[in-house]
Parts: sequence; structure tokens; C-alpha cells
Amino acid sequence: MMLRRSGFALAIATLSLLALSTMARAHKLRVQGAAVTVAGSSVTVTPSRDWNSLGKKIGKNTETWTLDGEQLNDVTFFAGIAPGNPLVKERSKKHAPLPKFTRTTLLVEVPELLEGTHRTYKNSGAFKLLSTQAATFLGRDGVFFTYEFTDEDQLTRRGEAHAAIIDGKLFMMTFEAPRLGYFARSENDFRALVTSARLR
Amino acid sequence: MTLGLLLAQQAGAATAPVPPPYAGAYQPQGVDEIGWWREDDESERKLAASNLVIHDETLTGYVKHVLCDAIGEERCRSVRVYIMREPTFNASMSPNGTMRVLSGLLLRVHNEAELAAVLGHEFGHFERRHFLEGFKAQRGGTDVLAWAAVLASFAPTYHTRRAYGDLELSIYGNLFRYQRNQEREADRLGIGYLNESHLRPQAAALVWQNLMAEIEASARAKGLKKPDFNKIAFTASHPPEGERAAYLADLAVPEGAVRDDGAARYRAALAPWLPLFLDDQIKLNDFGASEYIIQSLATGGWTADLWFARAELYRTRGNQRDLANAADFYAKAIEIGPARPEAYRGLGLALMKTGQPTTGQKALRTYLALKPDASDAGMIRMMLPGKGTE
Repeated sequence: MMLRRSGFALAIATLSLLALSTMARAHKLRVQGAAVTVAGSSVTVTPSRDWNSLGKKIGKNTETWTLDGEQLNDVTFFAGIAPGNPLVKERSKKHAPLPKFTRTTLLVEVPELLEGTHRTYKNSGAFKLLSTQAATFLGRDGVFFTYEFTDEDQLTRRGEAHAAIIDGKLFMMTFEAPRLGYFARSENDFRALVTSARLR
Repeated sequence: MTLGLLLAQQAGAATAPVPPPYAGAYQPQGVDEIGWWREDDESERKLAASNLVIHDETLTGYVKHVLCDAIGEERCRSVRVYIMREPTFNASMSPNGTMRVLSGLLLRVHNEAELAAVLGHEFGHFERRHFLEGFKAQRGGTDVLAWAAVLASFAPTYHTRRAYGDLELSIYGNLFRYQRNQEREADRLGIGYLNESHLRPQAAALVWQNLMAEIEASARAKGLKKPDFNKIAFTASHPPEGERAAYLADLAVPEGAVRDDGAARYRAALAPWLPLFLDDQIKLNDFGASEYIIQSLATGGWTADLWFARAELYRTRGNQRDLANAADFYAKAIEIGPARPEAYRGLGLALMKTGQPTTGQKALRTYLALKPDASDAGMIRMMLPGKGTE
């Protein structure tokens, strides 16, 4: 009996969540060739094809773009994460704290920061860094890294990220998609987006 | 306390039963059970192909062997063991004989006897077919799930669907949430197997004492007033650990105390996997629990792997005091040896961040010399002035 009641309460909670998410957040189309600022920051990108910008933000200073839905191809902008903040919004500051970007975080440690965030935030049991190398991002010295992880849905995804620390703030773009098919299909679209990124 | 004692006495009055004669290969009976087994078979097929299962014949064979040691060869034949890479404390057994053992459990137990206590307990649920008794609740539960799935499919974002995913987890959590009397029965059976085996039955109580201490340590480090035992999947459905540790200690046959607990064999079997399991735990960002686990593993002697894990844990938290400690721990790992090349990397980074770039760069150079093809070699090279092309 208890079981049933708590089950219904959960179902109602889901329903209200659903109503909320349809009302408040509108998705937007990002049209090919038109420069737009992302995540309310001073970063602009000029997409080489049409993208969808999702209305929901996973954290302060972030914005998510997708082609077929964020499970299939997810481009996330982290635009200006200030020291002392996590990459995405913490579900519970006390019970499930996330690793923070700090003043002393080095570029070479940014992959570890993303890894720690994924493991806690996405409950990703397996995460593997594939490569880390120096690269230019937003016209500054930055880091480019690739990784692979298996999410709760037991699907293995590939990811790549470009990051730079500019005036003490972290700027990063990540692209994540299922390893089979989807990653390779949109990899070049993401790279074009990275190349077009400018800091005003 | 008095309640705990009372319960312990009650449980103690009934001694652990000698395991009943094994009924042999059981086939599901009745439409409910047959249906459930069919779903369970399907779920096992998916599990076998899952990316989260650790496909290591040696490790899986070893865990199965420990289970067989506890419950006997004949019973053991009905079990298929799958080890999953998931850093939480849990193991479960489903009606058709699929046993899922999470890597977090392997990291937390110290010897064969402790592992056998947990696995024997899960087998107890299976042998008594406790699943069936909760079947009505299960059907109610899945009705809710079916409706929630329909609703969630309208949802515009992945996040809503993930909320559904969480719901799915919580309802399945309830499915395998046995009643407390069933838990006690499984406990008694579990310890009954251990009493009959060649392993030390006293280990069962230690598992719970350790788990309680870990949950408390985690809460302390997070600044919480009270540890929440219900947050942990395995403890949520089980009798309060304090009560449990007491009656388990009571049920263990006294003459078993001198038996072997298999700690050395366990350490040897886990050795190839320990660094990975520790790594998975540390990156969960649960400082208190990780520190407790490392300290607890170190009671058997500090090794380079343990010092390295502790250093990584402190460096990840990243306060200046943590970085100083981390540098110290990396140095200890290197001193004891054989340390992984990554110990030099961590040492170098920690030193550079605490204002000692010269010694830091020296350590980073050693890292590159030991592991020239490291995935981040290029980045590290950039941090070395003048030696960039080395």
C-alpha cells in the first residue's frame, strides 16, 4: 500500500515537472551564417548549419545546442565559469557536491574537472580520457581533449572538448554523442562551430 | 540501544539454521512467476552485453568461487555472477539466478569471509524466493511506471526523461526492497552458510560496522548533522545496521573465530583491479567516504596504490592545505614504490601549485620520461620552459 502511494506521488511529480518544462522554456533556432552570442556571455559563434538551442540550462553560464536531441548530439558552451563554481548546477550542495573550478586549476586539470563532474552529475560509472593536447581556443592557449563514457542508459558516448582559461574564468565547448554513428556524423559541424567562436 | 539488545537477544535465541537440503534446479510455477522469470531472462541477456559489466574471467571466477565456498558447490550451480563497474556498495540477486556484484562492494570488503557474508545473504533471498512475496507490490509499482513512461514520452527535454529514469530506479529499488523479516531470514541463512563453510562467520558483523562508519565519515565531511542511511541503496531496505551487526555477531558459531578469513587471497585477487576501483571511488567527489575507505584498506599496510589514491583525493579537493598534503602523499607512494608514473605527474602539479615550480617541473620531467606517450604528454611538456621539445 505504501508502495503504491509513493509511486503515485512520484507520477504526479513527473507530471508537474512536465507541465513546467513545456511552459517556461522555449527552444530557439540558430540559423546558418548568423553570428549569435552564447550563454549570455561575450562569446559569439557563427554556425555553419542550422542548430537548435535548448531552452533549458544545465548551469549558470551554460547553453546547450543540439541537432537531433541532446542524447544524440549535445554541444554545451561553458562561457566564463568563475573560480569557486562547479561546471553545472549542483543538484544538492550538501549531499552531492560537484568539483569546483578554482583559481589554481591548471589547463591540464580541466579534463579531470569535467570527468569528476560527469561521474557525479551523470552517474557515469565508466569514464576514460583518450587524449589531451595543447590547442588554441578563442585565440588563446588552450586544451583540446577527447573522452569516452558510459551513461546510466548504458550507451557509450564519445566526447571532445576545447577549453581555455581567460582572465581567471573557464571557457569551454564540449560535444558528446553516441560512439556509434552519431559522433562521427556531426563531429565536423562541431569543429566548425569551435573555429567560428570569438571572444568580443 | 535497549531495543537493539532486545532484538539481538531474540535473534540470538533462534540460532542460525543449518541450511536446508538443496532442492535442485527450480523451475518457476504459476503465471506470475513464469512471467517474471521471462522478463528476468531478457534483462540478463541485456546485462551480459552491457558496457558496464567487467568482462574479466579471472575476477568473475574468483568471486563465484568465494560464493561457492560459502554456499556449497551444489547451490552455486544455479548462480551466474556479473561484476559491474559501479562504485557503490551493493549486490543483488534476481529470481532466475542472476547475481549482480557492484565494484563498490569489492572495494569495501576486506576478505573472502566478508564478501561471502554479503553474497550468502543475497543467495538467501534467492533460495527462499522472497521475490514472489513482494510480487503484488511489484505489479502496483509497474503500473505506475507504465503510466509515467507514457507521460514522460511527451516531455520536450532529456532532463524530464531522466526524471523518469530516476523514477524507474526508485520503483525498481522498491521491488527489491524486501520486508525486514525477510532480511532477517536472509541474514540467518547467510550466516548459516558461513557457519558450515571454512570461512570465518564473525566477518559478517564487521561488514555492517564498516559500512556504518563510512556513511558517518561521509556525512561528517559534508558537514551534515545526521548521516542518512536511507540514501544508500543497500542499507535503505535493510534492518538498522547497529541491530544487524549485533545479531550477526551473536549467530556466528564461536569456534569459527579461529578460521581463516582469506584476506591475503582476497587482496591478491583484487590487486589488478584495485587502482581502477579506487579511482572510480575518488572521482565521486565524496571526500569523507573515500578517505574512510582508503584508511580502512590501509589497516592491512599502506601500499603505493593507496598513497597514490589518497594523494589524488586531496589534490582533487584542491585547497592549498590539501595540495601540500597531496604532495606529501605522492612522495610517500614514490618512496614505497612501485609507483605509477602518474604519481610523478600529481606530485609535479601539486608542487607547482604550492609555489615550488622547480621541484615540480623536475617531477613532471620524470613523468614524461616514464610515460612518454601519456595522453596528456603534450600539455605537460608545455609546462616545462625551455625543455619543450625534449
